[in-house]
Amino acid sequence: MSRKVLLPDTGQFFEIRFESIGGLGAHAAGRIVATAAVLRMGLNGAHFSSYGSEKKGSVVRSFIRLAPTDRPIRTSAPIESPDVVVVFHSGLLAHPATLDGIRPAGTLIYAGHADEVPAELARLPATTRVIRIDAQTIAIEEKSRANAVLIGTLTAALPFLDRQAMIDTLDATFAGRHPEAVAANKRAFVRGAEEFELLENIGCGEDGILASPANPVWGYRTAPLGGVLPMPGNSVWNDLHTSRTGWLPVLDLDKCIDCGMCEMVCPDLCLVWSTGAGEEDQLIVKLEGIDYRYGKGCMRCVETCSTLAMTREAETPGLADRLRVPLFPDLLKETGGGHVA
Amino acid sequence: MLHEADAPLTRNEPDQDRTRPVRQVHDFKSGNEAAALAARDIGFHVMGYFPITPSTEVAENLSQMQANGEHDIVMIPADGEHSAAGICYGAALGGGRVMNATSSQGLLYALEQLPVQSGTRVPMVLNVSTRTVSGPLDIRCDHSDIYFVLNAGWIILLARDPQAVYDLNFAAIRIGEHADVRLPVLVAYDGFLTSHQKRRIDRFDDQDAVRAFLGEPETPYSALDPDRPVTFGPYMNDPDLINNKVQQSEAMEAARRVIPEVLAELKALSGRGYPVVDTYRMDDAEAAVVLLNTAAENAREVADRLREEGHKVGVVSPNVLRPFPADEIRATLKNVRAAVVGDRGDSYGAGGGNLSLEVRAALQQDPDNRTLVMSRIYGLGGKDFFDTDARMFFGEALKAARQGTVAVPFAYHGTWAGDPAQNPPAGLPPLTTEEVSRGMAEVTRDPDTGRLEVELKPLWEMATVPSRIAPGHGACPGCGIFPMLRQAYSVLEGNVVVLFQTGCAMVSTTGYPTTAHRITYIHNLFQSGAATLSGLVEMYHERVRRGELPGSPDGSDTTFIMVTGDGGMDIGMGAALGTAHRNHRMMILEYDNQGYMNTGSQLSYATPLGHRTSTSEVGSALSGKLFHHKDTAQIFAACHLPYVFTASEGYPEDFMRKITKAQWYAQREGMVYGKVLSFCPLNWRTEDDAAQEVLQTAVDSCFFPIYEVEKGHTTITYDPDVIGRRRKAGDWLGQMGKTKHILAPAHAEQLAAIETEVEQRWRRLKIMHEHPEL
Repeated sequence: MSRKVLLPDTGQFFEIRFESIGGLGAHAAGRIVATAAVLRMGLNGAHFSSYGSEKKGSVVRSFIRLAPTDRPIRTSAPIESPDVVVVFHSGLLAHPATLDGIRPAGTLIYAGHADEVPAELARLPATTRVIRIDAQTIAIEEKSRANAVLIGTLTAALPFLDRQAMIDTLDATFAGRHPEAVAANKRAFVRGAEEFELLENIGCGEDGILASPANPVWGYRTAPLGGVLPMPGNSVWNDLHTSRTGWLPVLDLDKCIDCGMCEMVCPDLCLVWSTGAGEEDQLIVKLEGIDYRYGKGCMRCVETCSTLAMTREAETPGLADRLRVPLFPDLLKETGGGHVA
Repeated sequence: MLHEADAPLTRNEPDQDRTRPVRQVHDFKSGNEAAALAARDIGFHVMGYFPITPSTEVAENLSQMQANGEHDIVMIPADGEHSAAGICYGAALGGGRVMNATSSQGLLYALEQLPVQSGTRVPMVLNVSTRTVSGPLDIRCDHSDIYFVLNAGWIILLARDPQAVYDLNFAAIRIGEHADVRLPVLVAYDGFLTSHQKRRIDRFDDQDAVRAFLGEPETPYSALDPDRPVTFGPYMNDPDLINNKVQQSEAMEAARRVIPEVLAELKALSGRGYPVVDTYRMDDAEAAVVLLNTAAENAREVADRLREEGHKVGVVSPNVLRPFPADEIRATLKNVRAAVVGDRGDSYGAGGGNLSLEVRAALQQDPDNRTLVMSRIYGLGGKDFFDTDARMFFGEALKAARQGTVAVPFAYHGTWAGDPAQNPPAGLPPLTTEEVSRGMAEVTRDPDTGRLEVELKPLWEMATVPSRIAPGHGACPGCGIFPMLRQAYSVLEGNVVVLFQTGCAMVSTTGYPTTAHRITYIHNLFQSGAATLSGLVEMYHERVRRGELPGSPDGSDTTFIMVTGDGGMDIGMGAALGTAHRNHRMMILEYDNQGYMNTGSQLSYATPLGHRTSTSEVGSALSGKLFHHKDTAQIFAACHLPYVFTASEGYPEDFMRKITKAQWYAQREGMVYGKVLSFCPLNWRTEDDAAQEVLQTAVDSCFFPIYEVEKGHTTITYDPDVIGRRRKAGDWLGQMGKTKHILAPAHAEQLAAIETEVEQRWRRLKIMHEHPEL
C-alpha cells in the first residue's frame, strides 16, 4: 500500500501553500494531499492551516511541507517560500499576500473561469509555471467540490505525487461519512487532473515575489492603550465579496414594494434605503439596491421576499460591480483601502 | 499510627514486561489527535472537560471515537472549566484514571482547583494546548497560560510535537501515580503549532504491552472504599499546613528521580527517548538558545545551518518544566559563553519571562558560571517564530559570546513600534441620539393590569433607522445574530452601551483593528459579563447622581445590554443569576444558536437532546447529546425579574415589541432577560437561506415557545395550537442536518423523549399562561 516516491531534490523541504476562503475546503484538501504523501507514498510530511474562528468566508491558508522519509520535519512555522501555490478563488489574487514568496521555478495553480487571467498574475516571475482550472464549474457539474478538482490538478502538475495514492486517500476520507460523495469526488479529481490549462507568458517579473511587509497598521507607539478601538463602525472598510460562492441576490425595483422585510432578516446589513417626502409630505421609503461589498450571498432576502423582487442569480464576472449600490458613497471611494483622516 | 497507606505499592516495582518493545503503526496526526489517541489507548475511566480553542479537538476526537465504539471513557461535558476540573477531581478521588484537556482562559478558570488537586495528592492527566490569556482576547499560542500554573504543584511535561504528545501522556500516568509522587500531571503542547499540525507519528498497536507498561491504577485512599472510610480535605490551619506542603515539595523532588526512570522505560517500550532537558549540538557550543516546544524545534533547523557556517551554536529545550530541571540546565550551559532565553510569556515587571528567570536562578547556583544570559519575550499571541527569528536569537548570543558583554539583558523580540503616518480606517461619525431615537415603538402602560402595550411602526419605516451595528462584520453567510441585533436596534431609543460575551457575535464584529460597533462596546469573558455590566450600570447611576455625567436624574437615558449566547449561558450563569438577583437596571440578550458555534459547534447546555455536535457525535455507540436543553428563560423567570421573554429572529415584530418593553423595564425597574432563537446554518447544517422555515417550525412545534413573563405573569405571544399551525418536533428535526438522524427508526426512543419533553414544557407554559397568578 505504501510505495516510495521521490521528491525533487532541492535540498529544502518541498512546500505547498493553499490560498482559500473558509468553506471552500482548502484545509480538507491539504489534509488529504499530505495524508496521501505520508501514509501512502512513504514521504515525511506536515500539514496545518492558518485559522481564525470557525467561520465561513474568512481567508484560510493551508500548508503542506514534504520531505524524504528519513528527513525529520522540525519546523512548524508557516510556509514563506512555497514551491507551489494553489489559489481556490481567483478573487484572492487581489490580495498581494496570496503570491508571497512563490519560488521563481515554482508553480501557481488557480481556480478561474476559462479565459480569466487576473491582472495581478503579471507580478509572477516569468519562470513560474501558471496553471488555470475551472474548478468551480467542474465541481458544480460533477456535484462535487472545488477542492477535489484542485487536488486532481495539483497531482497532475507534480509528477512525484502518486495519482492512485491520492485517489485512494480521497476515497478513504469520504467513504465513512459521505459515501455518496466518493464517485463524484473521483470524477472531479480526474477532470481536475486532465482539464487544466498551462498558461504561457503570464508572469513578467524577473525575480521572485518577496513576502509583503507584514507590519500591522498600528504598533506599540501608535496603538491606543489596552487595545481600545476609538473608530466606531470602521468595519465598513472591510470588503466581504469574496465570501460569496458563485451566487448573489439581485433586486428587481419594479417588483419591490419596499415592505422592509428583507432589512429585518439581512445578516450583512447591506441593503441601501432612501427616504423622501411624498406630495403630501408623507414619508416615502425606498429600497435602492444592494451593496455587494458586504453581501455574503446568504439569500435570506430572497427567501423572505413576498413579491419575488429579490432573486438568486449566478455571479458572473463584473455583475456585482455593475449592480452595486454603495451604502457609503461619500465615505468609501471605489478603490477602497487607505484611511480617512 | 500507621495504616495501609504505608503498605508498599507493588505497581512501581520494575516489571520486565514493561520494557519489551511494543508493536507500533505509522499514522499522520495532529497534537490534539495524538492526545485523543493516547487517551483511547490508555483507556481512562473519566474525562471531565469543557471545550476551548485550541484544545477542543481532543474532546471532539474522543467523541467521534466514542460514537464509533472505539473506547469507553465516560465523557462528561462540564458547564465550564472550573466544573470540569471539579469533575476530574471527584472522579480521580474514586481511584480510576482521569483526563482533561484545556487551554488559556479555561486553564485560568480551572486554576483555583489545581492546587486542591495537587495539595490533596490526587493524580490525573491534563493536556494543555497552550494559548495566550485574555485580554484582549486572542486564540493563538503562547505560554502565558501554563506560566500561571507553575506554582500550582502540578508536574508539567512539555511535548514539542504530536509524537511527544502521544508518548508523554503514557509517561504522565506512570509519573503521577508513582507512590513517591502522587501528583497530577500537565502535558503542555503549543496551541495550533502542535495541536493542529499533522505530523507522522508512531502509535502503539499492542494493548497488552501498553497495559503492562501502565500497570493498574492504585491509590492509597479511595473515596469508593466503604471498608476504609477516609476524610479528604480536612480543615487544616497552622501548624499543620506547612508540613503538608513539605510533603508536596518532597513529592516534586521525588519526581526528579521518577521522571527519568519512567522516560527510560518509555524509551525501552517505544524506542523514543525524552531526556529531561533536550540538548542539541551543545557539546562544544559557545552560544545557545533556550526555548520551549515548537520554537526550539525551529531553532534546531537553524542551528544546523549555522553549524555548517562554522558557528558553535546549540539549542536547549526542557521536556520537563516542573520540577524545573535546574541541574541539567546548569550542566549544559556550564561552558556556554552566552545564551538567549526566549519566553513566550512575560512575567511583567520581573525583567524576563519565567523560563529565563529560572534559567538565571539555576546558573546562579554555580559560583563559577560565567554564562551571559539574555531574556527575550517572543511569539506572544501566536506571532510566528520563523527561521529568521531563531537566527536573530543565535546572532545575539554569538555577539555577546564574542564581546563578553550583554548590551540589552531584557527585550521584546519581533515587535513593531508603528508608523505615526499609518492608521486604521476611520470610523463612521457617532450616531446622534436623534438619529436612532425615531419613535418606532410606542409604549403605554395599562392602568388596570400595570402591564405594557406596544404599538409598532410598520417595518418599512424601520428600515430607515440607522443600525447601531455597521456592515463589514465577518459572520458566516445567513447568521441569525445580526438580524436579531438589527431588529433590536430599530426600536431601542437613546444611548445604548453593549457588552458582548465571547462568542460568534464578539469575534465577528471586532477583528482588530476594525469594529462593526457604532456605539460603545465592551467584551468580557463568559464568567464575568453580567457582573462587569452591572458594575458599569452602577457607576453610571452614581456618576449621574454626583453630577459628573449628564443624564436624566433617574439615569434612564442610557440602556445597558449584555449580548451573550453562542451556546447560551453555561459559564457565567452564577454571575448572571447574581446580577439578576441584585436586579440591576440592564438587559441580558441571549442569542440561542444551540451550541458553541464560534469554536466549531460543540455541545452546550442549550443544545437539545440528540442533536449532533462535534462533542456529541452520532454513531453506532452514541446518539448525539445525552441530556435535554437548558431552559434559561424559566431560570431567570424564577429570579422574579420584572420582565423575561423568549423570541425568534424569524418573528421580527413580536421580538421588537418585546425589546421595547425590555428597554422600558431595564431603564426603570431592573433586569430583563431575553432569549432569542438565532439561525446558524453552518452548524445546524442547513442551507444558508433556510432560516424562515427552520425557525418557523421550531416555534410551531413548540420546541421553542415564544412568550413573556411580565411582572410574574406568563403570556404566550404566539400559540400554534390556537391558530392551527401546531407541528411535530420531528418536522423540525427533519429540517436540519444536525438532527435528521433522530428520525431514523433506530432513534425512535430518542424522538419520543424529545417529543415528551417538548410537550411537557409546553403544557406547563400553557397552564402558566392561563393561570391569573402565574
